[in-house]
Amino acid sequence: MSSTAPQIRSRLPRIAEVAVRRARLTVVPRPRTRPRAARVPFVTLVSVILLAGVIGLLLFNTSMQQASFRATTLEQQAADLTAQEEALRIELQQLHDPQRIADLAQRRGMVVPTGASCVLSLDGGITGSCAPAPPGNKLPMDPPDPQRPAALDPEPVTVSADGAEGRNGARNGVPGLDRRR
Amino acid sequence: MTGPTRPRTPRSPHRASPQLRLRIGFVLIAMVLSVFAARLVQLQGVDPENYADMAAAEGSDTILLPATRGDIVDRRGNPLAVSIDGRMIVADPALTADDASQLASFLARRLDLDYVEVLERLRMEDSRFQYIARQVPARRAADVIADAEAKGFVGLFTQRDPVRIYPSGDLAANLVGFLGTPRKDGSARALAGLEDAFDDFLSGADGEAHYEVGAGNQLPLGDHTVTPAVDGSDLTLTIDRDLQFFTQKVLQQTVEGAHGESGIAVVMDSRTGELLALADYPTYDASQPQEWPKSRYKSSALTDVYEPGSVQKVLTLSAVIDAGLGRPRQQYVVPPVLNRQDRPIHDHWVHGIEHLTLAGILAKSSNIGTVLAADEFAPGVLREYLTEFGLGRQTDIGLRGETKGILPAGAEWTDQVDDRIAFGQSLSVNAIQMIAAVNAIANDGVRIDPSLVKGSATLDDGTEIGTDQADRRRVVSAEAARQTALMMERVLDPDDGVASIARVGDYRISGKTGTAQRVSDRCGCYDGSRTSSFIGFGPTDDPRFTIYVVVHDSRAGGGSVVAGPAFAKLMGYALRRYSVPPTETEPSRLPVEW
Repeated sequence: MSSTAPQIRSRLPRIAEVAVRRARLTVVPRPRTRPRAARVPFVTLVSVILLAGVIGLLLFNTSMQQASFRATTLEQQAADLTAQEEALRIELQQLHDPQRIADLAQRRGMVVPTGASCVLSLDGGITGSCAPAPPGNKLPMDPPDPQRPAALDPEPVTVSADGAEGRNGARNGVPGLDRRR
Repeated sequence: MTGPTRPRTPRSPHRASPQLRLRIGFVLIAMVLSVFAARLVQLQGVDPENYADMAAAEGSDTILLPATRGDIVDRRGNPLAVSIDGRMIVADPALTADDASQLASFLARRLDLDYVEVLERLRMEDSRFQYIARQVPARRAADVIADAEAKGFVGLFTQRDPVRIYPSGDLAANLVGFLGTPRKDGSARALAGLEDAFDDFLSGADGEAHYEVGAGNQLPLGDHTVTPAVDGSDLTLTIDRDLQFFTQKVLQQTVEGAHGESGIAVVMDSRTGELLALADYPTYDASQPQEWPKSRYKSSALTDVYEPGSVQKVLTLSAVIDAGLGRPRQQYVVPPVLNRQDRPIHDHWVHGIEHLTLAGILAKSSNIGTVLAADEFAPGVLREYLTEFGLGRQTDIGLRGETKGILPAGAEWTDQVDDRIAFGQSLSVNAIQMIAAVNAIANDGVRIDPSLVKGSATLDDGTEIGTDQADRRRVVSAEAARQTALMMERVLDPDDGVASIARVGDYRISGKTGTAQRVSDRCGCYDGSRTSSFIGFGPTDDPRFTIYVVVHDSRAGGGSVVAGPAFAKLMGYALRRYSVPPTETEPSRLPVEW
């Protein structure tokens, strides 16, 4: 029994001492940091990506702009060519005008046959009797002269010989209806 | 301890205390801020969309995508009216006044303008906008502007101004019509003819493109919206351009030769009712309509009525045969004069008592004989037939202003009127009604609605018309039609008929002359002038074309002399053009006398 009590007595202060020691604030030692990664490659990489993006975007934008310029030019060219095609189409239509063809034919002494007694059938034969067209069978090629409304065909103003002011004849242009705009 | 004291600056008597100045300052600041706040409320609260749109409009561009107006073409696709891109050339006199004389000389030479007028416009004071030329084809306008700039001229610019071209001038002008000067927005202004009647059909709908711009170019990634234009539809006519040209020339020659007032010539396809040519004389040039009076901007074949005269006998006598009231060989005793209720009826030649068959009545064009044959009709039957033939109703071929003619009804249809209508007086028709009616005889008794538009097209009032909508209906039996055609063939017989002048080579042709008293526009009465006409079809036993020639106020004779030769020319040309051979069958030998 006597040996157990002193053992307890001697152990208690030791526990208290540990408790006190634990309760006392101490500076926690700074933990050792892991070895730092090298910054330079990372920054370089980011910079390169950023630069490539910016340059790419710039190039893309430039190329788009160039395409836009080209589109505008091509549109203009298409409009010009369309206008040219239209002009040629009008010229072709004027050449096809039956009035023009009939006029040319009649000047060369050709006349329209009045009869229809000469018809080539499908087998190449001739049906009916052929007769030459009478030479006097010409068509009136000139349409009647225009009959202008009175407003466009005023009486000519005569100018007296003594030099009085006046305008001789009517204008033959389009009336100046838009001049007041 | 009296040190030097800083002399005290005397306070200005006008200067308020700092607190007062601060307050005034605050009030001013508050007032300014209030103005800003009010403006903010106005911008954001009152009409934010308008301002947003204005902001969006800065740096953006909206261009009109003009719809191309449909062409008007003939049955073979030859253009009668076409649209091309055009420009108006406009000058800014503030910039052009200095070089006006040189520029005017240049423009007058290049654009065929009046030098003095151009000079006046280039020097116009207090104006920044003067038309120099309108509706110039785009290519030509671009060339002129480029050359002007190369010569150092400034102040010229162009705006869109579409051009409508009528490449054949007066060809079918009465049908096609024309467009006036475009409106300010560039849209067409249809003024006459089919251009007017089918304006919506031809116009289409303009589109619009909206995009952001920078330095005149489209921004690639900017907003970009496009509403595409819907082009107008082409209008295809049944007209044959070359036949139309020939018809117009022959009509002009005929009317001028007869010293007539006006004339109409119509060529119809007997099998389909399609109008291959429809000529009016006098006409006008659709590319320069201002040179002619407005009264020409119509088709007289539709708008004008006249009494048809003896060509009407074809309808009356076919009805007599169809109703079983007569046969071609039926015998009639034709007295020199037929005294009826109000006045005696005469024939066009002086004769004693004639013994004519029904065929003879038609071949010799006897008014008295026709009245005697028509006497067999029960009251109202003749009118029913004429209505079935299409008289008294519009043909609705697509042109505006058509008359429906005058076919008396009810109490107006007295016995006297009945007699006169039988031989073509006391009723009025237009030329298309008449040719469609006689074409029923050519087409085995079936009347086909006449057509000017091939296929189908929509009028501005929404009505669909054209060959696809053409109705067919039987008016007389096929046998009655055949018998009438054979009787009509006798009209061209050199011995028994009155119009051998209208014969066409070896072809069998049926025809009928017409010489009617004419009602004057001035007095509304018969003024002694006449309408001479000829209608016919051929070949008789297989009709391909029905042709009608009318000359108003002819001074050279009746229907056979005036219109017969024109009919023969047109029929010959049409048969040759469409390669129709003679049928080589025996002509009609129906007796005309007994």
